[in-house]
Amino acid sequence: MSPRPLLLLALLALLMAAQAQEAASQLEARTFEIAAQLRCPVCVSESVAQSSSPTSIQMRQIVQEQLEQGRSEAQILAFFQERYGDWILLEPPKRGLYLLVWILPLVAALVGLTALVVFVRRWTRASKEPIEVDESDLKRVRDALAD
Amino acid sequence: MKRLLVVVAVVGALGALFLFGLLRGQPDRAIASARLDKRMPNFDLAVHAPFRTQYGSSFEFDSEGLGNPMVVNFWATWCIPCRQEAPVLEAAWRRYGDQVTIVGVQTQERNAQGGVEFINEFGLTFPNLIDEDSRVSIDWGLFGVPETYFIRADGTLAYKHTGIVNQDVLDEQIGALLQ
Repeated sequence: MSPRPLLLLALLALLMAAQAQEAASQLEARTFEIAAQLRCPVCVSESVAQSSSPTSIQMRQIVQEQLEQGRSEAQILAFFQERYGDWILLEPPKRGLYLLVWILPLVAALVGLTALVVFVRRWTRASKEPIEVDESDLKRVRDALAD
Repeated sequence: MKRLLVVVAVVGALGALFLFGLLRGQPDRAIASARLDKRMPNFDLAVHAPFRTQYGSSFEFDSEGLGNPMVVNFWATWCIPCRQEAPVLEAAWRRYGDQVTIVGVQTQERNAQGGVEFINEFGLTFPNLIDEDSRVSIDWGLFGVPETYFIRADGTLAYKHTGIVNQDVLDEQIGALLQ
């Protein structure tokens, strides 16, 4: 057998291995992306992506398996919501009372901005108004400065 | 005076927000189960060695064919509260065992040998299973150990107790299951 077909086969195998590696790393990245949206049930302030608890490791495994089965991000999040409720989502859903969490910061920012504008206007207006000073006081200051 | 009230209101609001943030950081162990009144997921788990003669090598939870109400307690060997409640569960098993099935599930660890030692230490006679990969605990929406699930005979969840379960809780919840 000439070396050329062997070389081609080796190249093909390398290409396939590289593709498989790329697919695996993409799957892992996607798994962590979804896991980062889930709250670790047995930790304090950690996501499933950050935690190394056995429960979180297993939850990441479930996410990966479901991605491999072709399930969407929404379906995977719904799977955990069904078991843990909305609590499991680190980002509150945009519905019902949870909407307040999204709207209130915007309202607070608007109120703050309006207050800032009002105060700045008031201060600039005040600085433009002439200051009334008693003539005798003015004379005393001038005399003091002259000394 | 008006300015002082505004300052107090703002500081109070910020303080409340800060407190809310601090409390939200803690795991809310008493959170109600999302599965309340719903049929609990089926499982098939390995039985701990001391119970294999009586129950076989695996135990199947089939929510559609329970027959009796069921109490499922999740525990781990490293969990101190689990050690405190183990004798209480054993007493309940001796008292209600002919009407209610009590099952222990070791979870969140891979330590079957330690599990057997735990069972022997407390002389547990109700069936104990092992959920080595924690899949069942995730399926059941478990936050931590110990947690105890009270299942009606129709397979639906009547109540989930978080933390140490005592005799009063067991009497009350089992009583409700039997009504």
